[in-house]
Parts: sequence; structure tokens; C-alpha cells
Amino acid sequence: MAAVMVGHDMFEEIVMAEERFHGEGYQEGYAEGSHVGVVEGRRYGSLHGAKIGSEIGYYLGFALTWQCLLQKCADERNSKKIRALNSLIRMIQKFPYEDPTYDKLQEDLGKIRGKFKQVCTMLNVQSDFRISTESSSLTF
Amino acid sequence: MKEALELLERVSAHPEARCWFLAWSPGGGLLASCGGDRTVRVWGRDGPQWSCRAVLSDGHQRTVRRVAWSPCGNYLASASFDATTCIWKKQEDGFECITTLEGHENEVKSVAWAPSGTLLATCSRDKSVWVWEVDEEEEYECVSVLNSHTQDVKHVVWHPNQELLASASYDDTVKLYREEEDDWVCCATLEGHQSTVWSVAFDRSGERLASCSDDRTVRVWQSYRPGNQHGVACSSTDPTWKCICNLSGYHTRTIYDVAWCHLTGALATACGDDAIRVFEESTGPEPSFSLAAHVPRAHAQDVNCVAWSPTEPGLLASCGDDGDIAFWRYQRPEGC
Repeated sequence: MAAVMVGHDMFEEIVMAEERFHGEGYQEGYAEGSHVGVVEGRRYGSLHGAKIGSEIGYYLGFALTWQCLLQKCADERNSKKIRALNSLIRMIQKFPYEDPTYDKLQEDLGKIRGKFKQVCTMLNVQSDFRISTESSSLTF
Repeated sequence: MKEALELLERVSAHPEARCWFLAWSPGGGLLASCGGDRTVRVWGRDGPQWSCRAVLSDGHQRTVRRVAWSPCGNYLASASFDATTCIWKKQEDGFECITTLEGHENEVKSVAWAPSGTLLATCSRDKSVWVWEVDEEEEYECVSVLNSHTQDVKHVVWHPNQELLASASYDDTVKLYREEEDDWVCCATLEGHQSTVWSVAFDRSGERLASCSDDRTVRVWQSYRPGNQHGVACSSTDPTWKCICNLSGYHTRTIYDVAWCHLTGALATACGDDAIRVFEESTGPEPSFSLAAHVPRAHAQDVNCVAWSPTEPGLLASCGDDGDIAFWRYQRPEGC
């Protein structure tokens, strides 16, 4: 009787070996995949975050410069432009840089982009902002 | 049913090109058309015949997709695939381009004047809707750039008596916008269509909106104010829009345009199956519309636009990919 019991366990181990290895392999793979995913996600997040930061920084610099320039001739004609610039600056300053989980992030970003476009049209300036590693080429 | 919509005249408006859109002047005496030949043409009637009074070329470098008359009838706006919108002023001997509005990144799909005459809206494939303001010196200024849609915006149209703007998009929604504290905001999104919404039209009162889509249906939406008797929940300030009627099973292809007659209440549609259909509202407990007229081969190709005359009840103009403008007389059939 005892011999039969031992025999039963031993065969089970052999028979179930494939399934067991499959299971172990899956667990190991899942753990490694999660880890790699986190690393990749972090890299992607920081790249994407940098892009957004760079874009908004560009808008802010642009707006502050123009605000400075227009302050010198703050007449009737420029009052609307100044108001729009101030509105853009306010929007950018209110934007929560510290919180990537802010639920209205894309919506507010869209509003900032729209305001920037409007300001460019009012100032008669081309609004082609491009994130590129190569700056515009100088030709002679 | 064919007799309900009778052909009066057919004009070859834009030779060898598509005729994209038609706009009646506010007085009903002139009809503006625009097309793939990059021109805007203005048509007038001498007796029963329609003839071309002016050709506005040199304004655009690509297809002109939409034209719109200002409420006073002195200005014409044209929206083009060349990413600009031209403003033409009516003169003694024709039209003169007085300004060009730039700013959109690519094709401008539509332009519309607000009933006050001081605001203009444009929309584009760049997914944005722009609101412009014009002053007494004919100076145009952009007052808002709205990025609410997530895809190509096909059409913009203003409420008949309020400063409320509606837009239709490739993202399957209709959005409504109004001014709030010096800036424009999206105050409602109408979801329900299963595909691109090509056009929208308000009824005379502005309480209802009709939208037509690539999903071959026309939807009618009703506005409910806060505190309404129907028990429809609203925010404290904005009305809620609900779909009260869905006309499906009538059109066999994409519906490109819908026009709601402000004189008679009839609803006309322009379809990719070359047909024009007219619907009338039926009496009954539930709002519903029934098919009152159907012309299967109104044009030789897709019908792009239908437009009711603002002054002559029953006069309908249509245009299509065949480059023709057709004029129709509509009479509501008995028992409809």
C-alpha cells in the first residue's frame, strides 16, 4: 500500500512538471515584464513631461516678452492684446506642473494652446512652435 | 411623392468642378455659390431665370468650401482649403476682398456670421473653432480659439437669435459654445451619432437643432432650460440638449447637409446617394418627422448642400459634385 502511495506522488511530479514550469515561467516573466514596464514608463513619462514643460515654457517666455514690449506703448489699440497676453500668462501660472494625475490636464493644455494661437494672430506673428532637436538651418 | 418637390431650373454653376455650398442673401434676392474651381459666384434672378452676376476669383488658391452672407447682406465670407477666410464687400460693380483672415493650420471647412453681425466663426481640419469679432472700421480680431473637438471640425452654425455657436465634427459629436467672462467656452456636447457629423441646423426658434451624419441618420435635439416642466436635469446656468428624434432608414448614404426652413419648418437633406429628401413634423404625442418628398436623382452625383430661401416659402436650392445648382419648388403634400 505504501509503495503505491509513493508511486502516485512521484508520477504526479513528472506528469505535472510541464504545467509547473509553465506557471513558474509565467510568474518570473510577469515580474520581469512589470519591472521593465515601469522603467520604460518612467522614461516615456519624463520625455513626454519634458515636451509639455518645454512647450508651456516657450509660451510663457513669448508672452512675458511681448507683455514687456507692449507695456512701453500701452495705448487704446493695444489694450486688447495686453489683456489677452495677461490671460495667457495667468493660465500658464495656474497650470499644475507638480501633478501629472490632474484630471483636466489635456483640457487646460488645449485652452493654453488656443489662447497662444489667438495671441499670435492678434500680434500678427507666426505661431509655428516645433519641438526639434535640430534648430532651423542657417543657409548662406 | 415626386410632385411635392418640383424642379424649376438647373444651372451649370462651377464647370468641371464640384459645387460645394450655397448661401442665400438675407433679402433672398441673391444666391452665392462656391466650388472646387476656387471661385465664389453670385447669382441673381431676372424674371424666372437665374444668371451669374459676379465671379469672385483671385481670392483663394484652393477649393472654396463654404460661403456665408453677413446679416446686413453687405459682406460675403468665403472659407477655403488654402487655410484662409476672405471677407468680400459688396460694391456698386461687384465684390472686393477687403481682408483675409489667417491663423488656421490647414483647410478651413466652414464660416458663419452671428445674427448680430459683429461675430464670425470659422472651423478647420486642425480641430479648432475660431471666433472673430469685427468692429465698425471693418477690423477683424480673433477673440477665441477653441480646441474642444478631437478631430476635423466640419461645420459651424450660429443660433438664430442668440450668441450661441454650434459645431459638427469628424469626432461624431456636436458641440455648443457661448461666451463666458471674456472668453468662449464649450457649454454642451451632443453625443449619439455613430460617425462623422457633417452639418447642423437650428430651427426658427433656436430651441431645436437638427444634425446629419455619415451614419445615415438625422437627429433632432431639443433644448431644455433649467427648471423645465419635463423634469430634465440641467446645470444651473446652461440648458441641456436631448435627442428627441432619430430619422433612420431613409438615407442610403452619408447625409452631407441638413437645412431647416425658418418659414415653414420643413427639414431638407442632401445625401451622398444623389437624392434630396424633405421631412415634415407630424402631430402626435411624441415628436416625430415623416418623409414628405423624395427626389432620387436630384443631381448626377453627391448632393453637397441644400438651402431654403429665407424669404420665399417652398423655394429650395441645392448643389452637388456635378457642379450644378438646382432650384426646386416644394409644396407640403396632403395628409402630411
